[in-house]
Amino acid sequence: MVAVSVEERLFSLVLALLASEQGLGKAEILSTVQGYRQRYVLGGDNASLDRQFERDKDDIRELGIPLETIDAPDRPGDSQSARYRIPRALYELPADVTFSAAENALLGLAAAVWRDGSLSEDSRRAITKLRSLGIETDDAVIGYAPRLRVREAAFGPLKLALDRRQRVSFLYLKPGQKKPLLRTVDPHALVVHESRWHLSGFDKRARAPRTFLLSRIVGPVKPLPGETFDAPAAGAAERSLAELQRVWQGNVAVLGIVAGSDAGLRLLKRSGVSPTDSGRYELHFTDLDILADELAGFGPEVLVHAPAELRAAVRSRLLQVSGTHQDGGNA
Amino acid sequence: MSAQPFRAQDKLALLLALVPYLLDQRRVSVADAAAHFAVTPELIRDAVSLIAVSGVPGETKQYQHGDLFDIDWDAYLERDTIVVTHQVAIDDTPRFSAREAAALIAGLQYLAALPEHDNREAIATLMAKLTRGASAAPSQLAVAETATAGEASAEEIATLRAAISGETQVEFDYLNARGERESRVVDPLLIESIDQDWYLRGWCHLRHAVRTFRLDRISALRGTDRPIATHGDEVAVPSRLFDVSADDLRVQLELPADALPLISDYVTPGARTVRHGDKVRLTIRVTHFHGLKRLVSGLPGLVEVLAPAEARALVAEWAAAGAAQYAADDAGAGA
Repeated sequence: MVAVSVEERLFSLVLALLASEQGLGKAEILSTVQGYRQRYVLGGDNASLDRQFERDKDDIRELGIPLETIDAPDRPGDSQSARYRIPRALYELPADVTFSAAENALLGLAAAVWRDGSLSEDSRRAITKLRSLGIETDDAVIGYAPRLRVREAAFGPLKLALDRRQRVSFLYLKPGQKKPLLRTVDPHALVVHESRWHLSGFDKRARAPRTFLLSRIVGPVKPLPGETFDAPAAGAAERSLAELQRVWQGNVAVLGIVAGSDAGLRLLKRSGVSPTDSGRYELHFTDLDILADELAGFGPEVLVHAPAELRAAVRSRLLQVSGTHQDGGNA
Repeated sequence: MSAQPFRAQDKLALLLALVPYLLDQRRVSVADAAAHFAVTPELIRDAVSLIAVSGVPGETKQYQHGDLFDIDWDAYLERDTIVVTHQVAIDDTPRFSAREAAALIAGLQYLAALPEHDNREAIATLMAKLTRGASAAPSQLAVAETATAGEASAEEIATLRAAISGETQVEFDYLNARGERESRVVDPLLIESIDQDWYLRGWCHLRHAVRTFRLDRISALRGTDRPIATHGDEVAVPSRLFDVSADDLRVQLELPADALPLISDYVTPGARTVRHGDKVRLTIRVTHFHGLKRLVSGLPGLVEVLAPAEARALVAEWAAAGAAQYAADDAGAGA
């Protein structure tokens, strides 16, 4: 018997479920659909084939295909008597969703913003579906590549947990503290603010919504088996961004910046930077410790005047770096 | 063409996307279909061969001839051309998944915040279409408008994009990491933003090599009428941001293993890291130590330069000069 490839089995299952108006029962699927029927034992034990079908359903749903389970009216929750189908109207892209060549080019550019990890994979599949429409693309975007990176290891597992509404726990090193604390969180949104990824979610211990910087999650993100939560109200990502914006607006640093220096080039182009009467600059920020790290990198090109806490933080960082590198090396 | 692995789910997505495309095109060559989907002709042939023998169990549950797709086999085998002659079950493009729509929407939000995208309305329309075209509400993912590079570069980006598409040279003054200004003539190849910063990649006529330039260090940018020199195939834009050449300097660093992503731009692919206690050691290559002192001072308490001594000294000096300002400022304020 020639083995049937995974994609052939999945493709055949989608075709069979799309073609059936009333849906198919599990026994019918396992005994007749290509890829299952070859392994089906009439009147025998089909437990492993059954498990295969359960995994395949998940894989198909992950592609956004609306594979529905219809319970038998007299036996709710019984998977053996349930029927499965893919309603055509929910499967097909609505007829009025069309894209022009210019829009198509823009979507290609949007997909290319993500170069690695799960967002890149999701984008790539979306573009495959988009190409199905046969739209010609403008070539105007050649040689132009805006992109955002996802460098934090926590992003992948958090995105998965967000999509599956799965509670997670992780060690979090809160800015300004020396020891990380274990946090248990329902992830509600992942947002980029000031080029940094943040998780907003419900902190179970604090019993309140909290925002976490992904770069400060130390150690692995662990999904808590069996603990799921209800979807937050729509607009969680927008609310999270608004909150970060509020924090950013409220924090102001006063800096002296050496004219024409690299620090000047980098900091003065930021949004919300304004000069003061005394030749200094006011700069908004979200996280004091992260800004302190960044300003330390500019060495003598930046002098922090206020707030005092930021001034002390930058100064101690510079002393630490110069101290660490003071002697001739130990390698 | 993507170098990432093509998994069974990706193959299924391609099969489901390919069928409506083939029906719509009526007749298309394998090469054209491959170019359209940006995959290899082999992947298209694999998909077509599978589609041609697939179908539904049908009334008889036996996958009879009429229950299967069929193609014009002569056209396919002799002329590498795909013509679907019988279809079953699907004829339209599938919806986006919630995750797919969310990834594109977040990408669009990043584009919307870029200085040269003044057409926010078109982007908002597109995001609404993606939401409507998804099979479930897109997952909660968003990019703030402040995430992007400064607005001053909009004009420069426009000049560079015009030069890249017109294949003409550009000239500008460049402030290098040592703080010196040099006049450069560059054949522009790619303009790329990474997070908050913009970079130009191009063939530098001063260095006779492909170089990366940070846009905020470029001044007096001028487009020219001179066509770019032809460099042939040897000019590929490297995927790494920073250029490494044989005469680069080697620097040995020590840092916690989980801080490695923070310096990923500087690490040559395949660079060997060696465990040392609870940290790792590795060697990176830099063109000079001036960029290094900024990098290391910006990761205080994380990265230590072990060797060479010259690099250590430069880092120490840089950080000490920064710290000394505060002592001087305090003394001045007290006087």
